[in-house]
Amino acid sequence: MKKAAKAKPTGLWPLHFTLNGKKVSTKVRPTQTLLDFLRIEMGLTGTKGACLEGECGSCYVLVDGKPMNSCLMLAPQVQDRNVTTIEGFAHNKKLDVIQQKFVECGAVQCGYCTPGLIVAAKALLTENPHPSREEFLVGMEGNICRCTGYSKILRACELAADEMGLKKKA
Amino acid sequence: MFYQPKNVPEALGLKAELKERGVFIAGGTDIVVLMNHGKAAPENFIDLTHIPELRAIHRHNGTMEMAGNVTHAQAGKLPIRCLAQAALSVGGPGIRELGTLAGNLATASPAGDGSTALLALDAEVELTSVRGTRRLPLEKFFLGYRKTALAPDEMITKIIVPTNYKTDWAKNGKRGAMNISIVAAAVAITPKNEARIALASVAPVPIRCHKAERFLAENGLSGDSIHQAAEIVRGEIKPITDHRASADYKIHLSGVMVRRLLENLVKS
Repeated sequence: MKKAAKAKPTGLWPLHFTLNGKKVSTKVRPTQTLLDFLRIEMGLTGTKGACLEGECGSCYVLVDGKPMNSCLMLAPQVQDRNVTTIEGFAHNKKLDVIQQKFVECGAVQCGYCTPGLIVAAKALLTENPHPSREEFLVGMEGNICRCTGYSKILRACELAADEMGLKKKA
Repeated sequence: MFYQPKNVPEALGLKAELKERGVFIAGGTDIVVLMNHGKAAPENFIDLTHIPELRAIHRHNGTMEMAGNVTHAQAGKLPIRCLAQAALSVGGPGIRELGTLAGNLATASPAGDGSTALLALDAEVELTSVRGTRRLPLEKFFLGYRKTALAPDEMITKIIVPTNYKTDWAKNGKRGAMNISIVAAAVAITPKNEARIALASVAPVPIRCHKAERFLAENGLSGDSIHQAAEIVRGEIKPITDHRASADYKIHLSGVMVRRLLENLVKS
């Protein structure tokens, strides 16, 4: 018992990475999930945790632009990586297009799944600016919403894609 | 302790030293789930996500070589039909970015989606340790329920598949997305016109259906022989009744899936 306690990963891990555009240098418990690290140590509680097994998507963050389940990553795994959480979406108090459309379409009820869904939509639209309905469904298939029935969420994402397309043309 | 090696030799050195006390972590889609549920608390982690060479995919003499950390998202873009289909059926986008093909093999789940595709492709795995490198046919890699041929100091460094097989793949489960299969099936036809049939969720490990394959080798790939081969598949597998479906249903489903897949593949 005494020995096991000694051998436990107690040492802190020096972590350097970019969080929502800002360089962060800190020390983490290496067995802490990225989700817990973001919420507890960084105070960024926008990212949610629910199933803690990769089923629900409420913990999605962008790592180097790709959507990932932060509940399944250990904090030191984002060493030298670029992490964006929902808190990094708005700029100068102006919401991201996807956030705006979620508000306009009433794609939010309890709101628990919303950050994850917006992160998933952002990742999808960055890789594929004009997804078909089918491609939207695949891009969002890792996120569960228990309130809305998804149709308003899809509508919000499609309108966001349209607006992002128009902005690019202009 | 947490280790983050920058190259494969460094990772293998650590693994040789720590053996069972050192757990490789890549996507974390298995081990961190266990940790989150209080079912595992590894002493030492060897993180493989910061080794660029483990993300490489090379074409080489009619084969595709995928390094040990190639993700399902990467595999989903490959021009190998059954493998891309299987990879894209795994989890959602986040899981596909995290989870790796080699991790899927090492965890040796009876329901491994990627495993069926790789078995039908006659995939080989390259296992490396500080002692050297060996290659095994994937079928020899699975030893039993969640048991593999990996020695305590070894890593899956490569998965090798041919690029010239005609293939198809299907999975049946209870919903369209984020699905663990009731049955998953992959079929392939080799350049020599031999059939390959692989199934998951019907045995303690993902399996090949050799009896049905031999029957097709002897009788050709006609509509009639495919029908009979599907019957042989039903006799060859031993699924269990579980919370996903009954054994009887899985047996029935396996035959239907193999028949349809082979019929379509022969037509295409």
